[in-house]
Amino acid sequence: MAGKPARPANAIDQTRRMLSLVTYLRERPGARVEDVARAFGITEDELVSDLDVLPMCGTSFRGGDLLDIDTDGEHIWWHNPAALGEDAAEPLRLAADEATALLVAARAVATLPGLRESDRQALLRATAKVENAAGEAAGASSRLSVTFESEGGVFADVDRAISERRRLWIRYYSPARDEVTEREIDPIRLVSVGHTYVEAWCRRSEARRTFRLDRVAEIKILDEPSEPPEVELRDLSEGLVQPAAEDPEVVVEVGPGGRWVAEYYPHDSADELPDGGLRITLRTPDPASLRRLALRLGHDGRIVSPPDLADSARRAAREALAAYDGPDRVEDGPYDRREQGL
Amino acid sequence: MAIAKAERLMNLALCLLGTRRPLSKRELRESIEAYVEAFGPGRGAAFGPGRGAASGPEKAAAGSDDSFNRMFERDKDDLRELGLVIETVENLDGEVGYLARRDSNRLPPITLDAEEAAALGLAAKVWQQARLAGAASGALQKLRAAGLPEDVDPYEVHGALEPRIPVHEAAFEPLMLACRDRRPVVFDYRKATAARPEPRHVEPWALECWRGHWYLAGWDRDRGAERVFRLSRITGKVRSRGGSFTAEVPDVVTVRETVAGWAGEITDRSARIRLRTGAGYPLRAKATAVRELGDGWDELEIPYGHGLDAWLVEFGPDVVVLEPAELRADVVDRLRAVAKG
Repeated sequence: MAGKPARPANAIDQTRRMLSLVTYLRERPGARVEDVARAFGITEDELVSDLDVLPMCGTSFRGGDLLDIDTDGEHIWWHNPAALGEDAAEPLRLAADEATALLVAARAVATLPGLRESDRQALLRATAKVENAAGEAAGASSRLSVTFESEGGVFADVDRAISERRRLWIRYYSPARDEVTEREIDPIRLVSVGHTYVEAWCRRSEARRTFRLDRVAEIKILDEPSEPPEVELRDLSEGLVQPAAEDPEVVVEVGPGGRWVAEYYPHDSADELPDGGLRITLRTPDPASLRRLALRLGHDGRIVSPPDLADSARRAAREALAAYDGPDRVEDGPYDRREQGL
Repeated sequence: MAIAKAERLMNLALCLLGTRRPLSKRELRESIEAYVEAFGPGRGAAFGPGRGAASGPEKAAAGSDDSFNRMFERDKDDLRELGLVIETVENLDGEVGYLARRDSNRLPPITLDAEEAAALGLAAKVWQQARLAGAASGALQKLRAAGLPEDVDPYEVHGALEPRIPVHEAAFEPLMLACRDRRPVVFDYRKATAARPEPRHVEPWALECWRGHWYLAGWDRDRGAERVFRLSRITGKVRSRGGSFTAEVPDVVTVRETVAGWAGEITDRSARIRLRTGAGYPLRAKATAVRELGDGWDELEIPYGHGLDAWLVEFGPDVVVLEPAELRADVVDRLRAVAKG
């Protein structure tokens, strides 16, 4: 099963979980550690640490019974389930935060255009039931909302190719080079982090690549089987773009109006400048791809290094300006894309 | 070693849920081992079943009463965060007691089939923010305890889809709580083009995530108008302010439309450009009309919204703006800045 986010142990989460655990275990004498951990979405180690705490807990005051719960590592036994009283182990109502977290996520997933219709219907039914059971606690969930972006038609084709294990042909736009290329890819999984991406094995580059669905210009499902090599799935929670240590360094200085660069580009450092701007150091396997950024920044910033990247942006700007100097001057300028390192 | 907080909270929860009559603070202090160990029993109290040598009546000084009271209040707040409804009742002698009644804490009956359960299982995994991830798992665990079917792996049902909701902004959690509790806040906000952040006093209404970024909509008290803020531009801490909202919260809060306007996606004008053949695919995808000029150039009509000038400049010498003149001037201005570099 794919990545479970690792979270530090937290007394609130653990208490919440143990309260549900006693209800759950009461109904299931001899429950298996493995099954309970899976049902609760936790590791067996986390479950065992809960089972260490529970025997120190009890309902009564002035020396009453503690919960006599133990495990042999495989099964869990509760020797005095009556210790909680007849009705003291009923399922608890949802807290406002719990209802919000679950309902907002469920509504967001239901907006995914590529979701299978039967799954969407199941999710909508479940959402309505949870809203109902949560009662007032569901109220605050309207103050938070998430929209996933994805291109419906492309999504559906990728999803189908993955489930039928078939290769895809795509025409894909690469903004770094401002070009559309054709390639065959073996899709591995779809990821939605703001935009929706397909992670795939690219047959052209023989490497793992991530493609943003809204940049797919055209898509076809091929008859060939998809055979991606066994690759370890990365944890994408830190972002899809994870520059390598050996990638060349680029330094960009921006004024206040260019601070957005630090929001959009993963970077190693962003140091404040006295004028309210930033000096941003980032790494990219292909510095030439940042010429677009240099052009876009205009008055708001400039590339400090590497110098040839700065030069290429200046040349491109002069070349472009030539077209505005007089009528039809543009054809005169022999503009060679290769010269820009593109 | 101090008794773990989770054990203390669990005992307090079980005592409050298990009792039929309100328990006084003194009774709770005497019956919960973690309190006895940390503070000793209250005045004139009997001992609970002792576990550590660290406790003793000598420790029960006035100072420890204060620290006990503070811890007890925090613990009650923590349990309330978990959804426990704890009532405060005064008995005939004027003594305050606490209990968590079963009927106000019971989950109403809910029956979900295996498909619905799997769908919720997928939804509970999408948060990348610790507090919400914990809360979503907690909700699912409560539903499991109530009999939610568990034999289906959500990833089997949904195939290859892995939606994730990113939350990288530090301001998210305090603003989420402020929206929930309808508390005014103040924070330093740096507008996209401003050199320095400025304090903004805001009544926060709703948070929305669009294209992977979080936005806050609310009432800006300084400007006396509704405003949308991008969370990544909030610098420093979000601080709560006392008092309540002064402006009425609208039924529908439209974050997305405002942000789409910033992104230049709401337009009522169009521009005419020349684009080198083969270049600028995204411009072509947005174009309302494309005409081949046959000399290595095409002529396109594209929607003209906020930020179009900056976008066109990215294409360098592959784009020439024909009209309107205003856009042409903006693009030339930007190009000159880069050319001077």
